[in-house]
Amino acid sequence: MLEVDVEVDRPRFTVRACLQIAPGQRLALFGPSGAGKTTLLEVIAGLVRPRRARITLGEVVLTSTESPVVALPPWQRRIGLLRQDPGLFPHLSVRDNLRYARSTATAGGAGGEARAELVSMALALGIDELLGSMPAKLSGGQAHRVALGRLLLSRCDALLLDEPYTGLDLSLRRTLTDLVISQVERRGVPAMLVAHELAEAQAFAHRLAVLDQGGVLQIGAPDEVVRRPASRRVAELVGYTAFVPVPISAATGSAGTELAGTVAGIHPDRIVAWRHDDKGLVLSGVVAACRPAGVLWEIRLRVAGMAVTARLPDPAPVGAEMVITVTDPPYFGPDGAAVSEHAQARR
Amino acid sequence: MRHVSGSLGLAGALVIWLALLGPVFALATHLSWSAIKSSLSAPGAFDPLVVSAESGAVTLGVLLLIGTPLAWALARGTLPFPRIWEIGVLATLLLPPLVIGLLLIFMIGPYTAIGQWLSHFNLSTTNTFLALVVAQVYEAAPYYVLGAQAAFASVDPRLEQQAALLGDGPLRAFRRVTVPLAAPGLAMALAVAWARAMGAFGAVVIIAYHPTGLPLQIWTSLNETGLPSALPFALVLLVVALPLPIAAYVWSARARGRRRG
Repeated sequence: MLEVDVEVDRPRFTVRACLQIAPGQRLALFGPSGAGKTTLLEVIAGLVRPRRARITLGEVVLTSTESPVVALPPWQRRIGLLRQDPGLFPHLSVRDNLRYARSTATAGGAGGEARAELVSMALALGIDELLGSMPAKLSGGQAHRVALGRLLLSRCDALLLDEPYTGLDLSLRRTLTDLVISQVERRGVPAMLVAHELAEAQAFAHRLAVLDQGGVLQIGAPDEVVRRPASRRVAELVGYTAFVPVPISAATGSAGTELAGTVAGIHPDRIVAWRHDDKGLVLSGVVAACRPAGVLWEIRLRVAGMAVTARLPDPAPVGAEMVITVTDPPYFGPDGAAVSEHAQARR
Repeated sequence: MRHVSGSLGLAGALVIWLALLGPVFALATHLSWSAIKSSLSAPGAFDPLVVSAESGAVTLGVLLLIGTPLAWALARGTLPFPRIWEIGVLATLLLPPLVIGLLLIFMIGPYTAIGQWLSHFNLSTTNTFLALVVAQVYEAAPYYVLGAQAAFASVDPRLEQQAALLGDGPLRAFRRVTVPLAAPGLAMALAVAWARAMGAFGAVVIIAYHPTGLPLQIWTSLNETGLPSALPFALVLLVVALPLPIAAYVWSARARGRRRG
């Protein structure tokens, strides 16, 4: 179990987080640039000194700012960190980079088993033909694969991945994500992924933590976080692009006072065409723009003076009236917090 | 027009290159086989060579031992007030060697506190092998420290951090990552320091007239018997001093080439 309770001072804010990751579990940290995600990983890896912290991995205290003060150096933590920059050693071949950590652990005594594991990892990563190459000759994707292989071959007890797939194509990302997941499950180590893209975080993690301005805004199952954001800010971060006031007709009666100022979060992918009163919030507007987005069409509507984007299977002519249904939208009160299920039910 | 300017540039570079190598050409054209034979066949003719080689080797050892940590600390900015430390290194580079020799007399001469302390161990820093090494260290140190500092600065600290994350303590990461990556630059710095140590004259002539190394032998031969008898020793000095820098240059270029794959 990796347990993290830290406060780290940054120039603009303080990063505060309290997280637990069980062996074999995967947590993704998701948030905008500069939210403090990388700082958190660097504190866990021992590269950044926190103001206050208690970090334990299993029975081992890695950092404790309270008596007895502990600050294990990075090389004694047995925590593997893979960063956006692959950080391959330019004077070593791909093979020597891959076995770098292994030779540290065994003082150069890598036997046949270790060699077989190295070859097997190289095959899994598709870099078996590059073992004799120098890092300068590798493409960006190849270098990332070598760095990942080096991390997975090291004898670490926790894996930290800091946006490791940035700049890689989608199929390679999927391959590498699957490989990491299988390794985490096989070795039963806790793993953390810092991701800039929601889909990447969802594909990887059992749990998703949303970070902003140094604080953990919400933590939960990826689907739960995306479908039931705890606040309007979380909703913005996970892809809700518009927040429309709840129609007066929906705010009448006993719930009228409670719902005043309440907005519904609109996610472009949670919209269906036409009126479906039983599915959610029905809105009508005028098509302002329509353009292709993959196999779907991105349609921009003007709804009561607000722009609402929907990704739908069929195009719509610009200027046409259109009715859409926002399926099961989350609602947020004037303070930005999610409105309770009870209040939503009454709506 | 472009062709003409290209030719002019090439001609200018060739003139500068020939001018820089002019002294070597002059040495080659003015040396006679008989002069070499008579100068180097005299009894004890190779003693200055032995003295220079031995003192040069000891000087390199001292520089490696004390200059390498200083260069690393300067490159990583781990010392407080780094500019002050750099000024100290630059001072020995900017002071004329003769002045260094004179000042060393006041610092470690036989009547100074350091000189008297050394005398308890039957050591002296004037006209001894130790004095020769001290003079050579002062003349060569800034070249090594500044060169090694640049070599260490060229190593990305994130790679050292990466080694730590993979389980290497500082010393092990230094040996496995920092030194190999800085090695081409370190080799060049060491080679330049060797050439400076072998050719050290200004400070040496003040505090270490004896034992006589090659530069002093050239000087005394020139004064006592003239230019023809000094030239063979100049050739010996070049033959001894230059191979290491040339080898270091070739090795560094190959090492960088290997990294490029």
